[in-house]
Formats: sequence, structure tokens, C-alpha cells
Amino acid sequence: MQFEHLIASAIMLTTPILLAAMGGLINRRAGIVNIGLEAKMLAGAFVAVIVSSATGSWIIASLAAALAGAAIGWLFSLSITRAGANMIVAGLGLNILVAGVLGFILSWVYRSSGTLRLPDVALLPKILPSGLEFVPLVGPALAMLDPLTLLAWMTTGALPFVLASTRIGLWIRATGNASEMARSVGLQHLTIQDFTTACAGFFSGLAGAHLALVSLGLFNEGLTSGRGFIALAAFYFGRDRPITTAFACMLFGALEAAQIRLQLEGLPPKLIGTLPYVMVLIALVVVSIQAQRKSST
Amino acid sequence: MRALPSPAGLQAVGLRKIYGSVVANRNMSIATQAGSIHAVVGENGAGKSTLMRLLQGVERPDGGEIFVDGVRVDFTNPGDALRHGIGMVHQEFMIAPDLSLLENLVLGEEPVKRSWGPLSWIDWPTARTQGQALADQIGALIDWDQRAANAPVHILQFVEIIRLLRRGCRTLILDEPTAVLAPVQVDELFALLRNLRTQGTALLFISHKIGEVMALADEVTVIRQGETVFHSSVAECTADEISRHIVNGELHHVANDEAPQPQSELLSIASLNARSVNRSHTLHNISLTIGSGEILGIAGVAGNGQNELVECLVGLRPSSGLVTLNGIALSALNPSQRRRHGIAYISADRRHEGLSMQASIETNVVAGSHRTSPISHGGWLNRAAMRKIAKDRLQALDVKYDRPSDPVSTLSGGNQQKLVFAREIATSPQVLIASQPTRGVDLNGIAAIHQLIRDFRDGGGAVLLISEELDELIALSTRVAVIADGTIVGTVKAPASNLPLIGRMMLQGAAA
Ligand SMILES: Nc1ncnc2c1ncn2[C@@H]1O[C@H](COP(=O)(O)OP(=O)(O)OP(=O)(O)O)[C@@H](O)[C@H]1O
Ligand SMILES: [Mg+2]
Repeated sequence: MQFEHLIASAIMLTTPILLAAMGGLINRRAGIVNIGLEAKMLAGAFVAVIVSSATGSWIIASLAAALAGAAIGWLFSLSITRAGANMIVAGLGLNILVAGVLGFILSWVYRSSGTLRLPDVALLPKILPSGLEFVPLVGPALAMLDPLTLLAWMTTGALPFVLASTRIGLWIRATGNASEMARSVGLQHLTIQDFTTACAGFFSGLAGAHLALVSLGLFNEGLTSGRGFIALAAFYFGRDRPITTAFACMLFGALEAAQIRLQLEGLPPKLIGTLPYVMVLIALVVVSIQAQRKSST
Repeated sequence: MRALPSPAGLQAVGLRKIYGSVVANRNMSIATQAGSIHAVVGENGAGKSTLMRLLQGVERPDGGEIFVDGVRVDFTNPGDALRHGIGMVHQEFMIAPDLSLLENLVLGEEPVKRSWGPLSWIDWPTARTQGQALADQIGALIDWDQRAANAPVHILQFVEIIRLLRRGCRTLILDEPTAVLAPVQVDELFALLRNLRTQGTALLFISHKIGEVMALADEVTVIRQGETVFHSSVAECTADEISRHIVNGELHHVANDEAPQPQSELLSIASLNARSVNRSHTLHNISLTIGSGEILGIAGVAGNGQNELVECLVGLRPSSGLVTLNGIALSALNPSQRRRHGIAYISADRRHEGLSMQASIETNVVAGSHRTSPISHGGWLNRAAMRKIAKDRLQALDVKYDRPSDPVSTLSGGNQQKLVFAREIATSPQVLIASQPTRGVDLNGIAAIHQLIRDFRDGGGAVLLISEELDELIALSTRVAVIADGTIVGTVKAPASNLPLIGRMMLQGAAA
């Protein structure tokens, strides 16, 4: 029983990381390391709560969050591809800027510090009919399955084929691998990069919507708590391959679920809270050691 | 639109191109014909590459006209030229290393079954059929699933050519295509180019090697100081005539002097071994010595471990065994420490290892000396001193440049190579490791570089010379060691009289 709930919460906690990681992966395949995923996630969560409260529709809210993320991503991309900003510095700047602007809007418009509670926020629905709770092992997970989780996994499944066999997939890989060459065969390499950064924003926005609308229905300044960076670690860990990246995301999701469990057991919460991040660090070290070993045989 | 008397093919009339104060092209006129190979020759910096950039739409001329099939055109980018059937195979190959050869082939014009814009699924079987058909037609053997990074250079060149053909190119421009190829690969390329000619493609072909021109081309145009000064059919002129036009009568001959007796042993390599890293060649049990006043040549078919050996010696690749310079063990030292002990290195890969292409000419020519006085003054960079030293070094080797603060990429290929020499010999090293030192260098430049190497030897230096030009090895080397499959299969004294033996050892290894 305990274990089944652990699986359910692990899957739920994996979704936002997975969404952001798939976006970031596409972006990196085109040659841009996006460390602004966190910002787009946060903005997505904020927009999702407001739109959901105003319209009462989780679909419109999720879409709005995705579009907000995409718009921020696109502007961010322009600053890199057209204005020549350094992608790391610009990404850091974006994270700080978005957090600052959201904090400002919170206190100025909503007269609140840190948390936004709005009435009538529509949460993500459960998509499967009730009664599945009693399926062994995955029952609770199935019962909790929400549309964005489904979308995240469908994206993960489709992405390898899109990258390998569609024109845009090939363009993205070529741009990331040799942008000058892509240009010389007539591709608009900067536009392709902008498109992928917008994609990263789109999926990060959805990730934010999931965080905000899956159970709480409120926005909090600390809502994302570094998940954008964990997503970044996930696709580094997965070496930009969708399926391996998804495994990394699941690992991090499971760690988070375990961490919450351990806090409930009465272990020091701050210390336990560092667990996923410590694991990310360890995972990255292991991956790079392996990569080095591999290249020297 | 103005029609010209001979309408077919690509034609340029009176082209001009000016960069700052350098007139790179003054008055260039050239015409190609279908089914003919047109060689373009000239000294380093004469303006050949610039002309090709104009014809290919990479840059726009400041004057003059370009015609395609008699119709005046104005290319603003390479895409324009491509649409008129003109394509270029670049010196720096336009290939994405992580993609497969097939993916590289179709990129930019992918075949699809049903078109959904960018989301269309690529029709890989059709792509393969198209590529294979063209490859068969021109006689190229290509493994389409190979990752480009793992394919040999001439295969990458072939893929580029097939890509251009597939996109409808009827005029192909090749800028020094043979500079990076081993002799066998050159033969394959030439066979392919001859097939292309038979099928009616027009080819523009830049080379510094008159032998290649005589063997391959139908027509030749000589460029001197930005002007086309001579044009003839190859059948109607001689190699000497072409050479004379290139240098305008100023061909420097290097006296084939008697080499001095090598003195004491300077560099010694004892049982050097290296593992394979990233598909590099392994090295087994290499032992060599070079005396002061000696040039030791390394002969071998390309890719038999020459590059790896050089990298081990300069400290870029880990190896076991003992390398000593003047009795001092180098094995544990990093590249900069080895430099300080007197090792100088001319890399075969000028664009990546020899130079920092984006950095300025002066930075490149003083690099490595920036931590020593007078350039470094109490840890600060003394700009004036740096500039002066840069000027002196550039002048000593007669490098032609516009402003020392220009990026080194604005220098012509041959002048870039001279710059590397200027830097490496400026610090009076004891050992010069020179890998393909005259690649892309013109006749007089080669003479100058050969003289430099001899002067270095006469000054008591030791030279390790790696070259794919057997003539060069034989002309310069006191002894030639032959490398095959990562090991030294033998050393030949008096190489000039033992040429057949060297050739046999290169191909058959120790069995010869
Ligand atoms: N982008 C540029 N900016 C300034 N000068 C340039 C630029 N490109 C070329 N030049 C100059 O124009 C002249 C002609 O150069 P070009 O590269 O056409 O010579 P080349 O005939 O191809 O020589 P090589 O045989 O050495 O390749 C040189 O003096 C070079 O320094
Ligand atoms: Mg050139």
C-alpha cells in the first residue's frame, strides 16, 4: 500500500521535470544550453493559476501557460541569436528577472507576498474512470493520471522519431552540430534555434502549469524550487537522448517522492530536502566519469 | 541583361574586390565550359580564393560582372549561386560531424513522401537511392550510414560533391581540394573529377601543384596580384611556362646543398607506446634519435600513426616510454613545459591547432611568448613591445598582411602557414617538429620554408619532418624513418638513392 502510493507520487512529481527536460533537450540539440527553464516554469505556473481562476478551464490555463513560456523563450532566444548575448549569462539573468517581476506583480497587483491564492482555480482532471485504485502496484498511479502527465510521456515517446526522421528534426540536429554548415546548405539556423528555444519555453510553461494545477491550485514563489535545473541535469545525464533522459527524470522524481516520505517519518526536513540535489550532483559526476572512460578505450 | 559572345557556362569579367587597403581582386576574368576542367593557379595571396568567393556568392564584387549562360547575375548569397547551378566544395568541409553521411547528403533538400512542411517525414529509402545513383555515376564508394566524423577526408569531399550534384550543380568549384588528401586519395578524387567532366560538369580547380594541373586540367588560368595574367589550354603550354607566369620570372631556386654531418644526439625517443583514444592509431615501441644538425623525415601512408607520434612528442597525447631532449626527460611534461625546453611545433592542422583563427595576426604570432619579457612586463602585457616583436617576426618571414590587428583568418592560406613558422622559430628552439609544413603553400613559399628548415638545421637544430610529399622528404631529410601501422618499420640513410625501398616499406611494412 505504502509502496503503491510512493509510485503514484513519484510519477506525479516526474511530470514537470520530464516536460521541462524534453523542451530543454530539443533546445540543446539545436545548440543552445537553456538554463532559463526554471524561469519559464515559474512564469507558466503563475499564468496557469490566474487563467484557471479566470476561465475555470484547465485546458485554457495550460495552453496559456505554455504560450507564456514559449513567448518568454522566444524573446530569450532572440537575445542570444540576434543580439549575441552569452547563453549562460542570459539564462541566469532570465531566472532572476522573471522571479523579480513575478514577485513585484504579486505584491503590487495582488497585495500578497510570496503566495497567490485565487478563487475557483480549476485543477487538472483525472483522465481515467474511477475504480482503478485497486489494481495492484500501479492502481493509485492510474487513478491519479492527469492529461499533462500523459502528454509528457507521449512527447517522450514521439521525440526520438521526430528527431531522427522528420525534416525539422534533422534541421535541429544539424544546427546544433555544425551551424555554419547548416547555413551553407540554406537552412535558417538562427530561426531554427529560436524555434527550439520557444519549444523549451512551451514545455517548461506546461511543466509550470502541472506544478500549479495538479493538486494545490495556487502559486508560490518557491513552487519550482530548482526543478528547471534538475531538468537540465536530466538531459545532461541522458546525453540528449529522450528515453535515457526520461529515465533520469523518473529517478529524480522518485527521489523527490522518497524525500517527502522521509520528511513525514520525522527526519530533519532541510537535510532530507537536499537529497534530490545531491543525487543530481552525484549522477552528473558519474556520467562524466563514464563518458571519459568511454572515450579512452 | 546583356548577352556575351560565348554564352555557355559561368563567366566573370573584370571582377574587383577590395578589403580595406588590400585589393584582393583587381581585374579578374575567367570562363568555364561544360565538360572541362579549368585549373586556377597563382601564388599565395594572389586572390584565388577571393575570386571563388565572388563566383559563389559568399561575397559581392566591388566591380565587374558575372554571367551565367550569357545572362548577367548578381549573387547576394551562396543560395543564389546554387540556384544558378554553381556550388563550391570548401577547404573547411561543410559537413556536420555527428550526422551520418546520408543525413549530410540530404540536409537542406530532404526527399519526402507527403509534405507537411517541416514536420514531413523524410523518405530515407529514396534519399539513399538518389545518393547511391549519383555515387555510382561518378564512381564513388560510400557507406551512407557511417558517421561523418569517422569517414576519411576524401569521402567527405565526395559527399559534398554528390550533395552539390543532387542539388543541380553544373559548375563545381574546388579550392585546393588535394591539400588535405593523401596521394592515394588524390588519385581517387581525380578519377571522380574526370568522370564528372565526361558527364558535362564544368569544374574550377585551385591547386599549387603544377603536376596536378598538367595531369588533370584542360585549361589553366594564372592569377598574379589580383589579376588574371595568363590563360591557355593545358595541351598548348608547358609546366615551366605556367610556373614562370605564376611568379613572373622570380622563381627562387634553393641550392640542394650538402647536408652537414649530424652532431651529438639531441632528441631521443625510446620504446614509445600509445593507446588508442577516440579511434586514434595505437603506437608500438617507437624508438628514434635525432642529432643536432639533422633532419629526420617520417614517411608513411597517411593515417598510420604519424599524427599520433607528433602529438605524443609535443605533449598533446599521453604515451609511455622515454623521450629525452639533451638528456632531460620530457615524458612527464606538459606542452608548455616542453616548449620551454626547446620544442617547436608546426601542426598539420593549421586552422585548429596551428592558429586561433578569430584572434588577430599579432596575437597569433606572439602567442607562447606572452609570458616572457619584454611582452610581459611584471605580469602586464606590454602592447608596444608586443606589436614591435610581432612586426619583426612577420617581416623576417615576409608574411603579407594588411593590419596586424586583423583576424588571422583574413590572411591567405600560405601566409597563415608562414606566420606559424615565424612564431615557432622566433624563440630559437632546439627541436622543430614540422608536420606537413608546406601544405597549401606556393612554389616560392615552399622554397622559402625549405630554406628555413635547412637554416634551422645548419644552426644546430634537430628537425622531425612529417610529410605526405615524398619529394619534400627526400629533398630535405638526412635519414628517413618509415612508419606503418603505428610502428617504425625501418630507417633509410641516403633517402634520395633509396626511393623504391622507402615506397615498398610504406606499403608492405617490415616485410619489405
Ligand atoms: N576577409 C578579408 N579581409 C581582408 N583581407 C583579405 C580577406 N580575405 C582575403 N584577404 C586578402 O586578400 C588577398 C588575397 O587572398 P586570397 O585568400 O584570395 O589568396 P589566395 O590566392 O587564395 O592565396 P592562397 O594560395 O594562400 O590560399 C590576401 O592578401 C589576403 O590577405
Ligand atoms: Mg586560398
